[in-house]
Amino acid sequence: MRGARFSRWLIALPMALLALATIYPLVFTANAAMKTRRDYILDRFAFADTLRWDNIATAWTSAGTARYFLNSVIVVAGASALLLLLGSMAGFALSHLRFRGSRALFLGCLAALFVPFQVIMVPLVRTMADTGLVDTYPGLILAYTAQYLPFTIYLMTSYYSAIPSEIVDAARIDGNTTYGVYRRIMLPMGRPALLSVGVLNALFCWNDVLIALLMMPSAEHRTLMVGVTSLRGQYSADIPTFASGVLIAAVPVLAVYLFFQRRIADAVTAGSTKG
Amino acid sequence: MPLGDFTPLLARPARAGRADGPATASRRRPRAGRLSSERLSPFVLMAPAVAVIVLFRLWPLLLGVNFSFTGDGERNGAAVGLDNYAELFADPLFLGALRNVGWLVLLLPIAVAIPGMLATFIYLRVPGHRFYRSVYFFPAVLSPVIVGSIFNLLLSFDGPVNSLLELAGLGPVDWLGDSDVAMFTVVGVHVWATFGMSLVVFLSGFATLDPALLDAARSDGASLPQVIRHVIIPGLSRTIQFVFVTTMIGMLTSMFGLIYVMTSGGPGGSTYLPEYYIWIQQGQMNRPAFASAASTVLFLVMLVVGLAQVSFLRRTGRED
Repeated sequence: MRGARFSRWLIALPMALLALATIYPLVFTANAAMKTRRDYILDRFAFADTLRWDNIATAWTSAGTARYFLNSVIVVAGASALLLLLGSMAGFALSHLRFRGSRALFLGCLAALFVPFQVIMVPLVRTMADTGLVDTYPGLILAYTAQYLPFTIYLMTSYYSAIPSEIVDAARIDGNTTYGVYRRIMLPMGRPALLSVGVLNALFCWNDVLIALLMMPSAEHRTLMVGVTSLRGQYSADIPTFASGVLIAAVPVLAVYLFFQRRIADAVTAGSTKG
Repeated sequence: MPLGDFTPLLARPARAGRADGPATASRRRPRAGRLSSERLSPFVLMAPAVAVIVLFRLWPLLLGVNFSFTGDGERNGAAVGLDNYAELFADPLFLGALRNVGWLVLLLPIAVAIPGMLATFIYLRVPGHRFYRSVYFFPAVLSPVIVGSIFNLLLSFDGPVNSLLELAGLGPVDWLGDSDVAMFTVVGVHVWATFGMSLVVFLSGFATLDPALLDAARSDGASLPQVIRHVIIPGLSRTIQFVFVTTMIGMLTSMFGLIYVMTSGGPGGSTYLPEYYIWIQQGQMNRPAFASAASTVLFLVMLVVGLAQVSFLRRTGRED
């Protein structure tokens, strides 16, 4: 490519502008959250002169965000833990144990991946209502587990398949039962994959709004994302408080992203190249 | 989040059950109790996962299809044949939702080409490629609720984007209030929020590309468009196929949050998508059987669009 150096810089310019367009909306929101209502109305773009936390405090306390935040933490922690437990157990069985129907079960999991939530949501909510699980924490935790389990099983199965069977055999000769192999070999060796898929599942559950809307109709059980949607009506004239609520919901995700960026990208792409 | 649907469409379950299992190991141990517990162990390990998936994913699918042939309200539970489907295809809102799906299919190549081009530049190491990679991916981890809320602020009629346009001497655009514009605005925001996801998928595809091919093309003096046309596209056909299908699934199943926050299906029903329609019928109108019929149609649409894409891409792939 002739003139490669020049053309590279020519490409880098629009890419830099796009990067700006990617970051700026969040910067704008954070900035709005730091302003008084008056300042925001006078000039939306100017940077806040001081860091003011009153809007954040208002959103946290009087808008009920604290409660929503707690609900989200309970449900995300519960669902992520359950997903890791069930996913690693099934992944171990599918990758290293021989039993009748293992292939059929694996294909069943793959098939379940392609059933979008929108297609099953009506009968699912009815099933949940029949079993008294609607508007309860276990109900939403189970709904999330069902939603993301096929993906978790797929990733854990393919990760565990890369562990040589000799290691499993050696552990058995040392006197371990299958459960011993799971606890002493598979859980510790699977830690990198468990961490990646755990972070990804936690993000999915934290970010979801549709399942939470359907499963948690009462205000006291609202998750944070549903809470943010209700803030909009409540504070339509008070943009800085609304922006503060949005910021509160975004900051945990931002923190997780900064820590686990690589792992998230790896888990996302795990399925695409193996085929 | 769309992530849940970033599924390994093309994966083969070749690895499952291949490794030597406990069958040989347990035979060595003659104790009967131990033996049967060992025999059962795979099923014990699988049981909770299978129970959750069957009960809360596969069973509802069957239930829903069945459900769609029954009535709501006064006719609750009674078999009504195809009445729900007939009503569905007479409802202008649902037809509008299907028309919007048509728009999405037409816009799909753009939604795939943008991350594809950017990934190519990052792969060719434009200055700052590492930085771009992590910045572009960031919106993909944000909830549609957060993204939608932020863009509600930015795109309101008296909002910052319009005041920037005014500075540039352009008239204000009613991004979310004009029924001809709103759907494209929502799709644009969706693409803004998700292109990073496809970008990393493309980059992982590039990692499997043979660098020698690129070097050869370069030393032969190929231009960038030629490299893209003759080296990158054929080399990445699998990845491109994967991104097409996952982007389509993402557009059909993960825009609920954006629509819910940004337009509530308005103005005048112009931003309805099937998933939003299903939610309205189920959650607001309390017509679960009718909503199930819409769900079944959505499932069929996705199946048809997905299969059509795969076969279309296969064919074009072969011609190259």
